[in-house]
Amino acid sequence: MSDDSKAATRWREDFPVRWDADHYLTRRELTKFLTLGSGILTCATVALAIAPRDSPNTQYPALLIPSATRLLPGTSLLFRYPTDQDPCILIKTGRGELKAYSQVCTHLSCAVRFDAEGNTIACPCHRGFFAVEDGRPTGGPPTRSLPRVSLETRADGVYAIGMEF
Amino acid sequence: MQTLQQGTALFTGILVLIGTLVIIQLWLLTAALEAFLARSYHVLIPAAASSAVLFVFNALLLRYVVTFDERIRREGGRPH
Repeated sequence: MSDDSKAATRWREDFPVRWDADHYLTRRELTKFLTLGSGILTCATVALAIAPRDSPNTQYPALLIPSATRLLPGTSLLFRYPTDQDPCILIKTGRGELKAYSQVCTHLSCAVRFDAEGNTIACPCHRGFFAVEDGRPTGGPPTRSLPRVSLETRADGVYAIGMEF
Repeated sequence: MQTLQQGTALFTGILVLIGTLVIIQLWLLTAALEAFLARSYHVLIPAAASSAVLFVFNALLLRYVVTFDERIRREGGRPH
């Protein structure tokens, strides 16, 4: 046997499928494959259903929000809580109530802004709107409420003390 | 031969049905994930139960296909 034929034999052993049979797939195999995918999707959905669930209220170390007491009604200021990577917005409503939310839009994570004229929280990226009172979505593509920052007024100022999701 | 032709149409229909159910399961998974992230946990159990029902239905269809195919093989026809 020549060297060429030996090489061809080895090649055949490594790749035993014929070229014309390479794309051959019976409907039965495709049905099996789809049913396997169906099982995987079911497992993933069940895993989500039994996964550990976060508490809706999470406590973090209290953080003083500078200048919060000097905020005028109908204005807002930005701060970061609970870490420096988490932008939040503090709003003083026309009635003088302080409300604070995560500044990350629940749609596609753009930064939301307070719109004093419309008395709403607006996301400029896709025109999403949230209620100032409770952070629920009121218009546009967002379907989830903004996470709320729990506030506590102490003698020396306003503190962020946790998040409500 | 007639059984073979009927089987081809039947298999195509079953394939389309299973594919449609898998797409519905994919939609259920994305809806469950969205609900999980939104902490709307009451959605998760119905989504998982629905997905499980669809999987059982798919498995029964697959069983039917395999049984049918084996019968065709026994009769000497071409498998699907």
